[in-house]
This record gives sequence, structure tokens and C-alpha cells, in this order.
Amino acid sequence: MVSFEVSRTLKKKKFWLGTLTVPFAIALILGLSVISNTTTTNKVDTQKNAKFSFNYVDSSGLINSSIANALGGGKIADAAVGIADVKSARSTAFFIYPQDPTTEIVGVYGIDKGIFDNGRYSAVATQLLQLSVQSRVGNKELTSLIAGKINVKSTSFLKGKESGSIGDVIPPMIFLLIFYLVLLLLGNQMLTSTQEEKENRVTEIILTTLNPNTLILGKIISLFLIGLVQITVFASPVILGYSFFRKDLRLPNIDLSSFNFHAEPMIIGFLLLVGGFTLFTGTLVAVGAVMPTAKEASNVFGVVMALLFAPFWIISLVASDPNSLIVQVFTYFPYSATVTAMMRNGLGSLGTGRAAIVIVELFVLGFIVLKLAMRLFRYGSIEYSKRVSPFQVFRR
Amino acid sequence: MDLGQGEPLVHVQDFQMSFGSTKVIQNLSFDVYEGETFGFLGSNGSGKTTTIRSLLGIYQATSGTLHIGGAPFAPDRNISLGYLPEERGLYKKEATLDVMVYFGRLKGLSKMNAVNWSMNFLERVGIAARAKVRLDKLSSGEQQKVQLGITIMNDPLLLILDEPTKGFDPVNRRLLMDIIEEQRIAGTTVLMVTHQMEEVERLCDRVLLLKNGKARAYGTVSQVQDEFGSSSIDIGLSGEIPPSQSYRVILSNPDVAQISASVGHSPESILKELVDRGVQVKSFMEKKTSLDEIFIQIYGDEPSGGVS
Repeated sequence: MVSFEVSRTLKKKKFWLGTLTVPFAIALILGLSVISNTTTTNKVDTQKNAKFSFNYVDSSGLINSSIANALGGGKIADAAVGIADVKSARSTAFFIYPQDPTTEIVGVYGIDKGIFDNGRYSAVATQLLQLSVQSRVGNKELTSLIAGKINVKSTSFLKGKESGSIGDVIPPMIFLLIFYLVLLLLGNQMLTSTQEEKENRVTEIILTTLNPNTLILGKIISLFLIGLVQITVFASPVILGYSFFRKDLRLPNIDLSSFNFHAEPMIIGFLLLVGGFTLFTGTLVAVGAVMPTAKEASNVFGVVMALLFAPFWIISLVASDPNSLIVQVFTYFPYSATVTAMMRNGLGSLGTGRAAIVIVELFVLGFIVLKLAMRLFRYGSIEYSKRVSPFQVFRR
Repeated sequence: MDLGQGEPLVHVQDFQMSFGSTKVIQNLSFDVYEGETFGFLGSNGSGKTTTIRSLLGIYQATSGTLHIGGAPFAPDRNISLGYLPEERGLYKKEATLDVMVYFGRLKGLSKMNAVNWSMNFLERVGIAARAKVRLDKLSSGEQQKVQLGITIMNDPLLLILDEPTKGFDPVNRRLLMDIIEEQRIAGTTVLMVTHQMEEVERLCDRVLLLKNGKARAYGTVSQVQDEFGSSSIDIGLSGEIPPSQSYRVILSNPDVAQISASVGHSPESILKELVDRGVQVKSFMEKKTSLDEIFIQIYGDEPSGGVS
């Protein structure tokens, strides 16, 4: 049945239309980005090399006249004349360096060359000031330090091992990303997975040829496989773009060696992913089984998504005060537990004991909800045109 | 056929079903033997479909025994079953052959066998050219043919048909009847839920009439007619029929009479008595009440609807 489910989904034009729209859009954006970046680079290079003459007034006494001359500048005494010359196009630009450039504004005037090209005037005015100051200090490193350009690397330790770096946080968070991707891509399909049997009135034939547990399990496996196809299709332009056009796209070079894949948070992340997936899948299938049509079932999807994103409302608290009451509630409430626990697992505030409780909770509740979903499917889906309440099902 | 001998293929004993406080089926018991065609009759809401669904494990019985082949039915028990439910349909957006092959595979056929069987069936019913066409592009009559094909595609040991002719056009109704007949001849046991009494009289060996969840009649068609029908005898004779304790005269005209047998007197004993008394009997024909009339007699007073 898995091959039937997968192949019939993959044969649908609608599926490919929806799936291919995303990589096409990404490819289009990346393509435009490459073209745009190439143009920008060329433009910046041109600007950098483009020289123009300018005048300046220096009340600060910081400007080095020889550097100014080298850049094409000439010192004048009267600011009004400098501005008038620019207005009448006798000079290209004019800068006013105030007495204290750290608190007062440097005035820059220039002939309008368009919004992009106009940027070169302030760039040259700043460059002239910086080079002049640097020449006074007499040391490039000292100038850099004065400007506050200090690279700091901090290292913290937990149980005698380095921890707390971004390289520790990101790997367990991959499970959170997978969880969101899977549910966002497949959530609606999970919700409507049993609708086809219901709407097509094939439930009874199916139930007499196939164990409902096998059917539900088969559907979940099919959804996973379809999800893998979608993720591959979606990711392919990003991977291709990063592999072959990284420079053109100005993407940062990701150093995988800076990520620390510690066993404990990775295992916890994986178990939270499976437990959360089980719980949400069971819930979506159960809701779908009692809804008469795919349209009505889809209305519930928004509620499920709200539950899924709810922990992000308290993300700052999760990071700053993980022991606060609200974070505790979100950690243990089943439908917010997956995301909250995954965030805390990544940030290092979950702990093994709490993780064990949440994982057990998710698996137990997920199993119960899946069993409930199977029962609801068995009884709910043969009430073809009616919405069935769970109470009715338990009466049977 | 030697009905009532050996282990029944379908065995229902003291079956009770309640939905909440509503008792839908009460102490229902019946057996269906291998090779027989069994009519499961009742008006709308009498509990027929509930019984079938419980027998097939779709519903869980409140109490009682419901066995097929000696044990409760489960899809993975490898019992070859053909089921045509009352609520029927197929995956309408898939190609005809794909759907048939899918169900064939679920019923345990290899892919090649499922394809071959399906193509042979589609050729037989004249729609082989539509094998690659989506089901929703087929006419409703053609869809019904596909539905029938799927029902019988694993050469079932037991065929359960819930209101089999419901919604079928006359051509497909005839096709269905032919198929049931073929299956009967091939030895398939048929359990048919219906209220089409002509079909029952023509096809069924035994019947059960269900009313408000209780069995009202159970036995061969003839036994049910005897139990519920006041059978009459049409007699052609010379002169008028003489009075007797053995029968009640309904109609008496010269050369023609209609009588009904008194309790404890069979048509054979009445004929012997008339001959012994010197009546010149030209014709003697027992007329049984039709199942249709019995059905109306039993269900005529109840409102329609309720649990199916």
C-alpha cells in the first residue's frame, strides 16, 4: 500500500506543481541575486576606483592636507564658497569637517549622480578623516583598537568540557528545524490522509482487506517518503547554490568543524523529534478521521499550527529564564513540549531528567493518540457524510 | 447441498449490539454453511448492516460470537472474502487498472496476477479500453462494473453483498446476478443483504428476516413461507367441493374451488381424502404466499429509518 500511496501522490500534477514552485522560486531568487551581486560588485569596484575633485573646510584640524591632495581634495577657507561651487558645478564635491567630528556632523555636498553614486561622497569624506587620524596615531593596529574593532572569543565549560558556544547550540536545533519542516510540509496531508478513503466511500472495503493499524502506519510511512522527496526537491537549489555559486551569492563559508555534535543533546533531540512527530501525526490523523470532508479538516490545521508555534511567543524567556513558571508549563504541556524542550535542549537548559520526562510523556501520549486515531478511523470514517464526535465512537 | 451439516462458514451466536443505551441487535443467532446462498433480510434500520459490519470486525460487538471460518474475522487471517458494502466507492482520481491492481495486491494477488485478472475482467465487461482512464471519467455504470470486479477479484470463498443491486442500472444488475450465479455454481458461499424479494426467492437457499434487531424468521424459503404464509390450494374438479374438517373452503364454484388446509392437515392428505370421497379432481395446486407478501406482513407496520 505504501507504493500505491507514494506513486499515486507522485503522479499527481498538483503535487509537482506545489513542490516544484518552491525550488523554482528559490532558483529564480538565487539567479537574480547572482546577477544583482555581480552588478553591485562591479559598481562598487568602479566607485572605489573613481576619483573626483573636491574642496573641504577643516575646523577640526585633524585632516592631513597631503592625504587630502592625494585623494583629489583642496582646502578652502569659506564653507559658503565651497557649497556655491558645488551648486554651480564648478567643483564636484565639498566637505565640512566640524570642530569635533565625534559629536558634530560632517557636512558633505556633491553634484547629484544618482542615489547609488552619491554614496561615494560620504565614503571619501569618511576615508579622508580616518586616514588622517591614522596618520596622527602612527599605528594601524592602535587605530583599529581605538575604533573598537576587537575580536573576542569566550569559552565556557560544563562538567569539565567546553560548552555554551553557538557550535553547541546549532546541532541539536537541527531536529527542531526537521520537526517544523516535516509538519509544515506534511501536516495538512496528515490531516487529510484518511479523507480520501472517507470521501470516496472505500473505508469499508479497506477495513476488510487491511488492518487499520497497517493502513495508518502505511500512510505515515508514505507521508515520510513523500516528505523526503519534497525536502530533497526544496533543498536542491540551496545546496547547488551554496556548492557552486557561494561567492556570487555572497554566502558565508560554513565551517562544519566549528559545530560540536555532543551525543547526549543529539540523542535527546532525536527522541523529542520522533515523540513529537508521533503525537502530532496521531492528533492530525484522529482529527481527520472524524471530519466529513478535507475542507472541514483543513480548518483545524490553523489551530494545530498555532500550537506548534506557540513556544516562540516565550522564546526570550526560554533563553533567559528557563526555570520560570510559564516555561515549565510550556515544557510539560504535550502540544508545546516538543518545541520548547527542543529549544531548551539546544540552549543547554533542559537537563537529562527533564528530557526523560518529556520524552516519555510524548511517546506515551503519542501512542495513546495513535491508538485513538485508529479507533476514530475505524468508526469515524465509515460515517461517511457526518462529523463524528469521539463520544459517539466510544459508545461503539 | 446438505444444509445444517458440519461446521458453518459463518457462525453468529447470541449476538448483541448496543450503541450507548440503544439496543440495536438482540440475541441474534444464525449460521451460513459452505456453498449456500443466504438471504439476510430486513427493512431499513432493522440492523442488517450493523450485523455485517460486526461480523467483519468493523464494529465491535457488545456480546456474542461472530465467526467466519471458525474465528472472528480479521483482514490478516487470510480468508478469501469479497465484500460489496452498501456504501460503496473507489479511488475516483486514480486510473481504473491501478485501483483494481491495488485492491488485488491488498487481497494477496501478485502484481502480475492482479493485472491479468483485472484486464480479463475489464474485457469481459467491455471496458478494457478504459483501463488507463481515471475512474471519475468513467460512466457510473462502468464504475459499477469495476466495483463488482474488485468484489470478486480474489475468487472469494465468502461473498458478502450488502444491498447488491442498490444504485445499479438494469444492465449491471443483470451482470451482478449472473456473477452471483457463477459464484454459486463455483461453490462460493454468498451472504446477501437485501430487500429485493424476487432475488431472494430466485437465488437464496435459506433466509433470515430481521426486525428491530431480532430474528423474526429463519430457515429455508419454503419453511418461512410455511411459517408466515397461509398457503391456499386451488382445485379444479367436477361439481362442487364437499365440506370437511380437513380444510376451510375459501371459494366454491362449480368446477373450481379454493381451500386452505386446517392445522395438522397437509395438502397430500387433503388430496387423498377428496379422491377417497369420489371427487373427480382435475387439478390440485398449492399456492404459497410470496416472500414479498410475508415481508409486507412483517414490516408493514413499522416506520422506516433508524440504524442500518
